[in-house]
Amino acid sequence: MANRTGTAQRPNGQTQGKICQFKLVLLGESAVGKSSLVLRFVKGQFHEYQESTIGAAFLTQTICLDDTTVKFEIWDTAGQERYHSLAPMYYRGAQAAIVVYDITNQDTFGRAKTWVKELQRQASPTIVIALAGNKQDLANKRMVEYEEAQTYADENGLLFMETSAKTAMNVNDIFLAIAKKLPKNEQNTGQAGNAQGRRLTEGDTGPRAAGNCCK
Amino acid sequence: MANSTYSNIDEYGFQRSDDFDYKLYDLFMSEYMRTLARRAQRWSVVYKDNNYKKNKTLKRFVRKGIPIDIRTNCWMEISGAEKVKNESVLSYQQLRHQYSNQIVESIQIDLPRTFPDNVFFANQQALCTMLYNVLAVFSHQNLDVGYCQGLNYIAGLLLLATKNETATFWLLKTLVEQILPKYYIKTMTGLLCDFEVLNEIVKKHEPLIHRHIHGIGMPWAMGTTKWFICLYADVLPTETVLRIWDCLFLEGSKLLIRVALALLKIHKDDILKSTDLSELMVVFKNMKNHPRVLDCHGFIFDVFGLSSKLTNNKIEKLRAKYQQGS
Repeated sequence: MANRTGTAQRPNGQTQGKICQFKLVLLGESAVGKSSLVLRFVKGQFHEYQESTIGAAFLTQTICLDDTTVKFEIWDTAGQERYHSLAPMYYRGAQAAIVVYDITNQDTFGRAKTWVKELQRQASPTIVIALAGNKQDLANKRMVEYEEAQTYADENGLLFMETSAKTAMNVNDIFLAIAKKLPKNEQNTGQAGNAQGRRLTEGDTGPRAAGNCCK
Repeated sequence: MANSTYSNIDEYGFQRSDDFDYKLYDLFMSEYMRTLARRAQRWSVVYKDNNYKKNKTLKRFVRKGIPIDIRTNCWMEISGAEKVKNESVLSYQQLRHQYSNQIVESIQIDLPRTFPDNVFFANQQALCTMLYNVLAVFSHQNLDVGYCQGLNYIAGLLLLATKNETATFWLLKTLVEQILPKYYIKTMTGLLCDFEVLNEIVKKHEPLIHRHIHGIGMPWAMGTTKWFICLYADVLPTETVLRIWDCLFLEGSKLLIRVALALLKIHKDDILKSTDLSELMVVFKNMKNHPRVLDCHGFIFDVFGLSSKLTNNKIEKLRAKYQQGS
């Protein structure tokens, strides 16, 4: 299995036992840096001007966590409001979400809260949600206080970090923190070969949210 | 690349990807250059008066590609944009003075994010200003649509192809308001409807592909939103996109569905080989690299050869069916 961190194989050549595969979705207002966070995490790159995402982009990245290899299947979605109606197909069945806002723009924080609410109502009840306050490198133009976001995250049981796709600050860390929090049980383990089986198991996909009045 | 006649930037200023097959492209172009010369010669004889009367000859000529030096005028004529322009009460220059600063913020954010790797957009501030003007004017004169992400790519490529701000505006307006379904309005109903139309057409014409994609659980929106929204700009190679647009302007939006079906058929083996969503997405992502897609002339041939029964009428009927249902 390809692994960018280069530690998937033990020095003695034995592969690790457990491989977990998780679907992760990025949500947030347009131009807060969703694609840039993914590009930094997956390719270690940063472009000052990242193409605006239409629909969604799909990428994968694998990280190692103790004795487990965690493969993220990442859906990087479009931020513009009118693409909102397409979002459920990306967060449905997702085990993790990163809701991104721009610390220099208060409106994007408000939008992030809306996304969190929607995930809490519509996504899987066990979804791990992380809040990322991106563009930390522009802290001198800050409009959203760290403490305000931290308090909000605590109240809602979210992981929270301020990140910078530009300097790479906390980018790997936020994905790692998510990986640590995700349950690495039988359901999520297995080689790529039986991924299809896993995907088709009940409860892994489809609307699972209890009390979802829309379904 | 070292041995290729072609640089890593195409004539419209786009960087070719790292995995671009120069050898294959050399081979294709050596043949295609002769085709282009022959076509230009034929056009100069048959359409020497620039009178593009809609008939079978025009359709045949357009499908074989509009010569680059008459493309702007021809697009204006065959799309109806020239008519829209002439019937408009306000000229583009007048419209330019009509807009407030309401929608401009979202456009300004996207300006440097439109083809950031394109050498013309990266190095010519004037081109970015033209793009801004076109998008700002368009958004203000059509408030149902306003600014929808994706229009920046269409207007951007129109500008690169026509080098003409006014023509770009009228072509964009005609595309969005007359040629395409309601893709870009706030509810995107036309787009959602076309996913259903595509689904039904694939089911009928390529049941194996349909069953496989359905089994893997990929909604069409996942693989094809950008196809429809960007009219294949930033999805397929530039020259292939412009050849698609030649036909789109003359023949209408059924082209988008026909291109989708042709793309799926060309990648049938790869699609059927994919075992999960992640493998399937890689197939979709790599479609731009297929030799048949790179060969724009052959690709257009496939578009009409592989989906010849898909008439506008049939597609409009399906659209009506799903619009009612939604």
